[in-house]
Amino acid sequence: MAAAGKAVAYGHGESGGGRGGFLGARVPAEVEAMARAVRELDKETFRRLLKVTVNALEGKDCKESVKLIAESTNLSEEQLAFLISGMYTLLREALRLPLSTFKQEVFKEDLKELRIPEDFITDFSSIVFGNRRPVSEGTALTQRSRLPGVQDFKWRVDVAISTSSLARALQPSILMLLKLSDGTAHRFEVPVAKFQELRYNVALILKEMNDLEKRSILKIQD
Amino acid sequence: MAAAEQQPPPPEGCRPLSALLGGIAQAAYYGKAGITEELLRGQLYPEAAPEEFRALRAKMGGLLQSIASADMDLNQLEAFLTAQTKKQGGITSDQAAVIAKFWKNHRIKIRESLINQSRWDNVLKNMNWRVDMKSQSRHIDQINTPVAIVEMELGKNGQESEFLCLEFDEAKVNQMLKKLSEIEESMTLLTQTT
Repeated sequence: MAAAGKAVAYGHGESGGGRGGFLGARVPAEVEAMARAVRELDKETFRRLLKVTVNALEGKDCKESVKLIAESTNLSEEQLAFLISGMYTLLREALRLPLSTFKQEVFKEDLKELRIPEDFITDFSSIVFGNRRPVSEGTALTQRSRLPGVQDFKWRVDVAISTSSLARALQPSILMLLKLSDGTAHRFEVPVAKFQELRYNVALILKEMNDLEKRSILKIQD
Repeated sequence: MAAAEQQPPPPEGCRPLSALLGGIAQAAYYGKAGITEELLRGQLYPEAAPEEFRALRAKMGGLLQSIASADMDLNQLEAFLTAQTKKQGGITSDQAAVIAKFWKNHRIKIRESLINQSRWDNVLKNMNWRVDMKSQSRHIDQINTPVAIVEMELGKNGQESEFLCLEFDEAKVNQMLKKLSEIEESMTLLTQTT
């Protein structure tokens, strides 16, 4: 596992000279098509398309702005589709790679090989390596697949004084309410013995996570 | 077992009574619905007439209920049983001894079962967890952060459980642990004042 990961990590670091570079051995069809079509564009249209693509990557709705571009330029719907999807794939793949191993020169070199005009390469590069990057990374973090997490945690300690079957119960128990990120809420009671078990296990999890971070051998990094 | 053998042999009639108390407790406190009056009579008091047995069972059941409901300690129990032996239509001192012995052995379990009987919400039954190392995803090439996957089993007695599967990053686990410590503190305070 670790060895395979290493190979992948080294792969994109060294691939600057190979065909496709960071996009892999075979350049995605939409990127090829975009690289061909982009040569015909004037700078202003290119920038407008790039802006739409970045917005899309950040998870915004771009229907209206694409419609505006379609109306104000003489690009066909098909050309627009090639351009936007190609830019989208190119940027998505580039933003996926960590800055520590993915260098700007390699990126520029790869785009040059696709015969994208120099001006446009600078624009692409400023998005991948410029100050917009934290925003895109934030979007990627929230988009990634995950199980629901706890959004809100409320609790209450109850002591039953007297019940229908026990005159003097005086037994504490804990009522917990978990609100999850998927919108559901769960309420449940935790007997004292179970509570101690829960607390012990949560502490153990934290310890294991800390230990794991110390074992840098697991990190797939150069 | 060895301790029981050293004691003088129990007087006649005590063994079935002890078993009867066990049967009553099984049915009333431990949720064993299969233990019927007919079954107990057939096994323990085959010679007794049904009405006679029913009365005995009702009396013992009533006594046990009073004892359990008040969760009597040994002093309270002794006073209670002594009063019962003196009452008309009460119990013999041999029976009182059997009841006292039975309560000593079952008090904790019966109390626990009674507490559970007043629990109607879902209860946390079990939990499992695992710590994963997230390495890559479609949008990020290197994540390399640990995440905890926690499964909680929630359910009511006798009903199918619900399994809650949650994900925590380190900060969230830390937060959770803090909250649990708050709960712990609050419980310590409560038990100190009572």
